[in-house]
Amino acid sequence: MSTARFKVKALSWSPYIEPVDVATASEEQLAAMQVTPSNTKVSPYVRTLAHDPESYVARTKLFNAIMYAKGGLDRAERELGALVASAVNRCVYCASVHARRYVELSGREDVVEEIYVRGLEGPFDARTQAIADFCKALSETPSQATKEQVQALRDHGMSKAEIVDLVHSAAIFGWANRLMHTLGHSVPVEAK
Amino acid sequence: MMGMSDLDQIDILSGLKPGSELYAIRRERPEFVEGTELCRETVLSPNHGFGLSHALRAALASRMARSIGREDLAAVYDLMLDEAGSDADLASIASGAETAAAADAFTSAIIRHADLVTQTPRNSSRADIERLEKAGLTNPQIIALSELIAFVNYEARVLAGLSLLEEVE
Repeated sequence: MSTARFKVKALSWSPYIEPVDVATASEEQLAAMQVTPSNTKVSPYVRTLAHDPESYVARTKLFNAIMYAKGGLDRAERELGALVASAVNRCVYCASVHARRYVELSGREDVVEEIYVRGLEGPFDARTQAIADFCKALSETPSQATKEQVQALRDHGMSKAEIVDLVHSAAIFGWANRLMHTLGHSVPVEAK
Repeated sequence: MMGMSDLDQIDILSGLKPGSELYAIRRERPEFVEGTELCRETVLSPNHGFGLSHALRAALASRMARSIGREDLAAVYDLMLDEAGSDADLASIASGAETAAAADAFTSAIIRHADLVTQTPRNSSRADIERLEKAGLTNPQIIALSELIAFVNYEARVLAGLSLLEEVE
């Protein structure tokens, strides 16, 4: 019997294009990146997407609402939706961030280990399975998600409002993965 | 106030009726409802388009919706394309034609990228971004294109999820 807990490594992200340089950024870019005299450290991810400040600001606000808005679906299960989408899209960076956040919120290293070692088919406990099945189908090909999968979520006690939250968390990672996995790649965290 | 005018694109394409249970549930998350529409503006009809016209953006959105299998969503972007001013080349992009006939290298690279990232994002690599650079896209154009592609993929998933949810008890 293994007693070692499964751990997902923290990763860093490196862009394929030159990010915006804070020193030469436009007013709109600085505002988007929330750069102030006391806050000039901005991640490569933010500086890369700040090339288009308009979409950056709107998406960030939507993203934060979907992942962090009060009430509704448990935050851990939103992270699970994000993790499943990221696994489907092979966004290694997003998967590592959201696997770790999911474990912090839920304590479910077992679920994360299952996903990393064996994949999204499971088997998982019934509610986790229902979430994984639905989010996997929605992420792969939206038309492949089924009414039966949504019914399974309902049968495991998820309200319609909570399912709306789950749909959005998986969908916003259909978005985020298409940025992070196409515009750059994960790299080991540099030793400080 | 309740009326047809309160329905947004997501409601209509998800089959939600004003006053329905799910319509009301969506309104409990105004930041999702309004946030999605605001994002739509920033990728389809931004103030700063970086030389990617609203018409080209609508044509690409239509093409991606079609390739995801949402003809209804594609039709909405076809309308947007007509309003922005379509032509034969843009209509060909929207239609999903294998190679938009008269497309120049710049436009061809954009089409290829939209198809790739919509269908097989997992296969994306540095080489795909380098192709865009070689075709003449600037960094802001690469980001703007990426956000547009990602938005339509997000929207299609929200629509699919809400449509299914409307069917269950």
